Amino acid sequence: MSSKATIYSFLFLGLAVTALLIVAPVVYAVSLSFYQMDSFVGAPKWAGLDNYTRMLSQWVFWRALINGFIYSFGTIIFQVVLGIGFALVLNQVFPGRNIVRGLSILPYLLPTVVVVLTFKWMVDGSIGVLTTMMSALGLPQVQWFESPGAAMASVILVSVWMWTPFVTTTFLAALQTVPSSLYEAAKVDGTNAVQRFFHITLPMLKPILTVIVLLRAVWMFNKFDVIWLLTQGGPVGATEHLAILSYKQAFGQFDIGGGAAVATISFAILSLVVFIYFRLFPLDTE
Amino acid sequence: MAEVRLNKVRKAYGAQVAVHGVDLHIRDGEFVVFLGPSGCGKSTTLRMIAGLEEITTGTIEIGGRDVTRLEPKDRNIAMVFQNYALYPHKTIYENLAFGLRMRRMDKAEIDRRVKSASAMLGLDPYLERKPKQLSGGQMQRVALGRALVRDPDVFLLDEPLSNLDAKLRVRMREEIARLHQEVGTSMVYVTHDQVEAMTLANRILIMRDGHVQQVGAPLEVYDRPANLFVAGFIGSPEMNLIEGHLERGALKAGGLSIELPPGIAAAEGTPLVLGVRPEHIGVGEAPGAHAFHVAVIEQLGAQTLCIGEVAGVRLRVLMDRTDAVRNGTTLPIQFRPGRLHVFSKETGARINRADADVGRRPAA
Repeated sequence: MSSKATIYSFLFLGLAVTALLIVAPVVYAVSLSFYQMDSFVGAPKWAGLDNYTRMLSQWVFWRALINGFIYSFGTIIFQVVLGIGFALVLNQVFPGRNIVRGLSILPYLLPTVVVVLTFKWMVDGSIGVLTTMMSALGLPQVQWFESPGAAMASVILVSVWMWTPFVTTTFLAALQTVPSSLYEAAKVDGTNAVQRFFHITLPMLKPILTVIVLLRAVWMFNKFDVIWLLTQGGPVGATEHLAILSYKQAFGQFDIGGGAAVATISFAILSLVVFIYFRLFPLDTE
Repeated sequence: MAEVRLNKVRKAYGAQVAVHGVDLHIRDGEFVVFLGPSGCGKSTTLRMIAGLEEITTGTIEIGGRDVTRLEPKDRNIAMVFQNYALYPHKTIYENLAFGLRMRRMDKAEIDRRVKSASAMLGLDPYLERKPKQLSGGQMQRVALGRALVRDPDVFLLDEPLSNLDAKLRVRMREEIARLHQEVGTSMVYVTHDQVEAMTLANRILIMRDGHVQQVGAPLEVYDRPANLFVAGFIGSPEMNLIEGHLERGALKAGGLSIELPPGIAAAEGTPLVLGVRPEHIGVGEAPGAHAFHVAVIEQLGAQTLCIGEVAGVRLRVLMDRTDAVRNGTTLPIQFRPGRLHVFSKETGARINRADADVGRRPAA
């Protein structure tokens, strides 16, 4: 086989796998959004843009969109700030550093359901360790999943707890690629530690920061399992974002066309955000 | 501008001692080169002057001020790093200006200094570029410029040319020499390249395993190496070192007997090492000449290096360029007592006194 044929055969295989696993489901989901369907077995009825107008005219859609942004921004900001902070600490030399580095990734290795259940036990109203500690300190009892604000805080907290280790590890790896001579040159140039962070560390982390924020944004915007396991979008939709809404619409209310329309809009919003993001922060600058 | 004093400066990492106590007085405006093989402690010593490495014991003064416990930024030093250490996300102008901005210097003064350094180093066309858009030589000039704008008491240069190719290294060497002449600031320069040391230095400090071996002017260390290590390290091609013992004022080595300079204070039969530079062996018929059998010839252009043996002793002889010598040729050679270096085999220390003849070119 000539080398050209080899290249094309690999290319074709790659394209075929992509088409089968990504393009086809997306096309199928998008096409579903133009039909009225109450099950996957019945005959679909062409509905045009009805599903879209119907979903867009409902308050629950806009609430889910806003919730999605609050959840994404909240989790990303805390993950990135804490991730950089922990990475800076773990990058220092101290006894037992390797053990602490190893432990720090642990939450990321646990299955989501384990993390969620652990958190639920911690905040349990009668036996929860957090509840007990807070009442011992004389702090008021928090209704973690009952009040809208606390529920959103809970899903953000658990998500941050679970995925900050990923961000920490990535930043830690990036920090180790910064040549120590840059810090030394900056020391000779008269900088203090804070100035070194803003003039050396942060600019050197910028490429990885750009990617991390984008990846986390996409993942968090679509994140389903944590919220579903913690609150199922409640109370009264306070933690319901587009992914939850889409699922509830399709599999709860058997409005498959409506659910597909929500998923398609979510996909379009994310694509737009990614597009704008890359225009604002092109990857090839440094 | 200032003088620098190192008083018994020692560096230890736990039980391992990297620098065993350096005493040095660098005069105002002097160019001192720290020379030695990798791991000899030369860079560590420089970094201790910079304040990038803590001093275990001893003190360092710059301009009469004890800086031992001061931060690098408070020592008024500037440093040039081997890998340039330019800030990759800043333009060349910003790289040059950064140290001044951090010291809250007036903007107009920063601009004046950056422009002046840039003109001096030929960096004007690159001021708006980022470091990665420059060649290695240009980056090294920026690194020099960054040190220059600061107008420091002392310049510290840590193997600044070792990332450059051979040709560029020679050019940058000249540029550093010119810079030193123009600004007249004290410079401390670390290198493992003896040619850089010989060409740039007012004085060379030679180190090995954390110990200072010798401090002296370039020709002084070439003419009077203090010990076997310096003798072998300075000079290219390397000095011939012949092991033997003292016998009636001569060195006996195998079948060879070489008359030694007078004043060797050693007992008969003492094991000695005789050093003679390849360029200091006379070639030509004379009374007492030895027969040198050439085995390998290396044409260096202006000179010819012959490698071979004399009475069973391996020897390198450097002579003016010749095409007449072939492998297997036998040449008559002489050792001139005035050009011999005698070392104790036991301690490696030099044991012959200075000699007026040492170091001068042989008469044609």
